[in-house]
Amino acid sequence: MRHYENLVIVKPTLTEEEIKNTLALVEEVITSNGGEIIGRDAMGMKKLAYPIEKNVRGYFYVMYYTVAPSAISEIERRFRINEEILRFVTMKYDSKREIKAWNTMVEKTKKTVAAAPAPVAPVAETTTEEVAS
Amino acid sequence: MSEKRKFKKRFCKYCEQKVDFIDYKDVASLKYSLSERFKIMPRRLTGNCKRHQDMVTISIKQSRAAALIPYTVSRKVVAGAPFDDRSY
Repeated sequence: MRHYENLVIVKPTLTEEEIKNTLALVEEVITSNGGEIIGRDAMGMKKLAYPIEKNVRGYFYVMYYTVAPSAISEIERRFRINEEILRFVTMKYDSKREIKAWNTMVEKTKKTVAAAPAPVAPVAETTTEEVAS
Repeated sequence: MSEKRKFKKRFCKYCEQKVDFIDYKDVASLKYSLSERFKIMPRRLTGNCKRHQDMVTISIKQSRAAALIPYTVSRKVVAGAPFDDRSY
């Protein structure tokens, strides 16, 4: 079992419920491949640094989990099939130092979940910093 | 007359705080090593040490892939940044 982190950007055009469903599907992909999700962090609706598939915003969601390394290729293949996902970034945490950082990040997510019990709450970002593209 | 030191000696910001790992999601801390056009600043300007500069460059490139930091910024956007409220 190895420590991993996955960041997923979901399309902004979906409704709140659809986002919830796709995130459940994404988590199902990981758990069905023998993974164990330990930490979740919803970064919420954010402005993208550059447009992806003509979308300016995206719903950011981070998952911390452990799986066998052989399952990663299958997980990524399933992510690519899903059309609601704009972008995903998989991170491997292998060395002692990285695993330590991974543990602290997981603890941080637990704290934020305890503070705010509603994880899926897409808050519209302030549009004051809108830049003409 | 003693020799005057021309340059102030710089210290690595990350070494002072004893940073072991730089997270790619922490955009605020990465901005320190980015120019206003989101290029990676050289070591001689930021004063980072080699070890931490390597860590910073890797995490900046990771967060670019994750659409947290732009790859490039066009001239228009950079010029328009101070006048954001006008929205033209």
